[in-house]
Amino acid sequence: MEHVTRDYAAEGERVRALNDVSLSVGSGRFVALVGRSGCGKSTLLHLAGAMDFPTAGHVRLEGLATDALSEPELTRLRREKVGFVFQSFQLLNTLSVVENVEVPLLLAGRRNPRPAAMERLASVGLAELAHRMTHQLSGGQMQRVAIARALVHGPRLLLADEPTGNLDTATGNAILHLLRQIREEQKLTILMATHSAEAAAIADVVIHMRDGQMVQD
Amino acid sequence: MGRFTLLYRLMLRPLLQRPGRALLILFAIALGDAAVVAIDMAGDAAAGSFRSSMESFTGNNDLEITAAGGVPETIAAQLARLPLDLRLSPRIEDHATIVATGETVPLIGIDLVGEANGEAAQRLDQAGLRDPIQHINDPDAVWVAGALGKAVGEKIDLLINDQTRDYTVRGLVPDTAKLGGDAILMDIRAAQQATGKSGRVDRILIKTPRSGSFDDWQRQIRRALPAGIMLSPQGSATAANRRMLAAFRWNLRVLSYIALLVGAFLIYNAISVSVVRRRADIGAVRALGASRNMVLSAFLLESSLFGLIGSLAALPLGRLLASGAVGMLSTTVNALYVSSTAGALRITTGSVLLALIAGMGVTLASALAPAREASQVPPTEAMARGRREYEVRIERHRDALIALILAVLGAVAAQAPEIAGKPLMGYLAAMLFVGASALLTPLVVHAVTFAGAGLMRRLMGVEALLACRSLGGSLRRTSVLVGALATAIAMMTSVGIMVGSFRQTVLTWMDAQLSGDLYLRPAGALNADQHPTIAPRVAERIASVPGVESVARFRAYEIEYQGLPATLAGVDIDLHRREQSLSFLSGRPPVDVLRELAAGDNALVSEPFANKHHVKAGDTITLPLGETRPTFRILDIFYDYGHEAGYILLARQTMLKYLPNPAPTNLAVFLKPGADLESTRAAVQKAVAGSDLLILSNAVLRREGIRVFDQTFAITYALEAISILVAIGGIAGALLSIVMDRRREFGILRFLGGTGSQIRKLTLVEAGLIGLLANATGLALGFVLSLVLIYVINKQSFGWTIQFHWPVTVLLSSLSLVYVATVLAGIAPARIAVRLNPIEVVHEE
Repeated sequence: MEHVTRDYAAEGERVRALNDVSLSVGSGRFVALVGRSGCGKSTLLHLAGAMDFPTAGHVRLEGLATDALSEPELTRLRREKVGFVFQSFQLLNTLSVVENVEVPLLLAGRRNPRPAAMERLASVGLAELAHRMTHQLSGGQMQRVAIARALVHGPRLLLADEPTGNLDTATGNAILHLLRQIREEQKLTILMATHSAEAAAIADVVIHMRDGQMVQD
Repeated sequence: MGRFTLLYRLMLRPLLQRPGRALLILFAIALGDAAVVAIDMAGDAAAGSFRSSMESFTGNNDLEITAAGGVPETIAAQLARLPLDLRLSPRIEDHATIVATGETVPLIGIDLVGEANGEAAQRLDQAGLRDPIQHINDPDAVWVAGALGKAVGEKIDLLINDQTRDYTVRGLVPDTAKLGGDAILMDIRAAQQATGKSGRVDRILIKTPRSGSFDDWQRQIRRALPAGIMLSPQGSATAANRRMLAAFRWNLRVLSYIALLVGAFLIYNAISVSVVRRRADIGAVRALGASRNMVLSAFLLESSLFGLIGSLAALPLGRLLASGAVGMLSTTVNALYVSSTAGALRITTGSVLLALIAGMGVTLASALAPAREASQVPPTEAMARGRREYEVRIERHRDALIALILAVLGAVAAQAPEIAGKPLMGYLAAMLFVGASALLTPLVVHAVTFAGAGLMRRLMGVEALLACRSLGGSLRRTSVLVGALATAIAMMTSVGIMVGSFRQTVLTWMDAQLSGDLYLRPAGALNADQHPTIAPRVAERIASVPGVESVARFRAYEIEYQGLPATLAGVDIDLHRREQSLSFLSGRPPVDVLRELAAGDNALVSEPFANKHHVKAGDTITLPLGETRPTFRILDIFYDYGHEAGYILLARQTMLKYLPNPAPTNLAVFLKPGADLESTRAAVQKAVAGSDLLILSNAVLRREGIRVFDQTFAITYALEAISILVAIGGIAGALLSIVMDRRREFGILRFLGGTGSQIRKLTLVEAGLIGLLANATGLALGFVLSLVLIYVINKQSFGWTIQFHWPVTVLLSSLSLVYVATVLAGIAPARIAVRLNPIEVVHEE
């Protein structure tokens, strides 16, 4: 990220979510963004995942500037290189566990996504729950499914927005360890937003944010 | 006051913030209600406020004397000699066609000399007939209503029976005379001469003195009349026609309620969605102290408001629709029942009340279940937010069992006879089947969306899988949407099958009925109750044309039987003819039946007559014919689709015994084998020179019959279109609300790599699936309803036997059209879904 600024219009007024942020994350690093609600963590994740674009500055993903890409190229970029994990899991309630994991592959046009989805579920320890509906799972299990879904297409970058925010401490810790383990096994880059210093402690690098700016490395 | 503030903040303000959703609900209510108001208003103008055009210039009388074939004018003389101080007004009542415009108008002949004396003189004066007596010896003198646009002294060509003649306008009758807008007045002698009714009048109106009771006067007058002459209160014919039109109006009204029923499904859906969406708010309000009744009242109040605004909007909309419908209704009334002129369309207190009661009633009834559900929300629901989306449970197996019970009850109701002449149990059966279908829909939707999801994914990709799962996941909403559209489609299908079957039956019947090669009748447009005559010598002239084998004469009279109008007809019987035109319910060979008919005082009755008057073969009927009341034995019942009031058919010789007027109303000409149709037709044309007759070939008459048939049913298609429009509009609204509710899901899909076109495809596949499910369910329900329509409702209302027929082309094209419309209804919601900002919508949750 090079001198990235992001402004939003809210009720006629301009609100600055990110203010001149520059950040470079090396491949295979686990970076935690820490700060209070509204400090700009989620905005930074959205920009990093090419879901949003800076008002000023540039975001490059493996050397590609996101603002120079067309909509289909951005979609392809997200499909191939980025995975998202959300605080409230964001599973699709009408699909079973394995069907949820299959969604990114199906959207990308994969004909037989089931083996890859099952393999990914097995890697998060949920192979036996593959055919359950999502509402039959606990919070921790839901987040595992969400992680499996985020990884099923083999992304290079995993963006996790408060992945433990809706979980109790023990389950949250288990999810953090799972993320760490995945990072180590797959050498992928993880950018995690959290308001918890304890959660951030698991990362290689911790970046503190306040009022849209990075305050400390 | 505080509660109203809360009501405004929690219920009304959110509505105003999303006016699109509120407008769609109002659209469903207003259009459905408008269909009801329109049919009531148009029906009232075309038939409900029916006043026979023959009531023109009648004045205020008490009684009337009528007789089949006309009242001998000597009766008036006999009554005048009684010491009863009666005021008698004999009249000729017929029709004339204005040659210049082709318009057929009532022709009234009154006794200008008689009317010029006493209190009638004042009426004549008011009517502008100053000094009419100077024209009483002028057979060409006519007085016309100002509406006809004629000036005094101007000539007017009139076709009366089969003769066209020049008449002279001798005066203009102002509208205050209630001449009926476009009627023509003549002196009674001139009218008798023009209509060929010498020595007879059509009606004698009687004004009795004020002293003494009405019944006494009736008794005294009746004593002086021969047996066949009928004495009844003035306007009995109008009353009889009104009774006849009642069934027609009743069925039409029921059809109009279908649009409202479809609207009810959509209102139910909208309020249900509103309840589901606000469960957390309801829970919070309950936790803060709101009682169940307060929640219930709030939702019912919201619905009442929708009902009130929708109903009020339905009035002008209904008035607009009525202006389109009234022409169609008038055509049907004239073609099938009786001559009438449509009255003005008016928004009356009655129409306002109807709009309010129907609109608000249906809205409140539809909202009751979701409002009750809202009141059951526990306060803990407020804490459940975000944990898991609330899912409305549907007991689909229990519902399927109830559906089965309703279907069985429907089948039982369909077997029941009519009640007070109305097919009430038939309607109940139809409602039970609609209910059964609605309750079975969740099971069908569940089975198709879950069982078919894999196949759909293979065929159409991940979007189809997601669409299937999404529809199956919100089972109640999908079921209600499918139910609403399916009901509209079922109505379209059932009416389509009924009309298609009826059309095919009429075609088959016409093939048998129209065995002649040429048909002749007086020129001029004809309504069902008009029977202008042909000079008797014409038939003889035609019979002598080379190439003509025989001529069959047909004479029809309008009579009243058991307080209802009917047509009495006499026909030439030729047992040697190659084809006989009648077919009988008993299946007996026509030659056998007709041989018996010719043998004595026997009669045949048409199927509608038999059903209306509950008579069967072997029964006897007594008819007032001329001055006598002979009794006839019913030999058999014949199929007839030409006249809803029904026919009584006699042999011509039998009829002439009682009604000796030999002039026929129609002629059927049979050619010799090998005779050339066109050259014989030209020869016939030459033979009838001097008579203004229409000569129609078999093929033309058949085409004309079908044209009238199609025109008659135009109104049913219009009503169906409204129902479909309500349903499609509702589907568009519902899809939009689905998109708004599922914006989180669309957002996630974008995060997971979904493209805009995939989101669009998903929404359109959902619309397509709803359309497909609704088409399949609607077709099945429509088939069942068509059986009820054909074999129960039609049979009990009109008495026609209709052979079942699948109108494949019509059904395929209309179902495809509805399907395409449903998919198109998804375009706008799909566009909105594509434009959603994924970050915003995911963040919102």
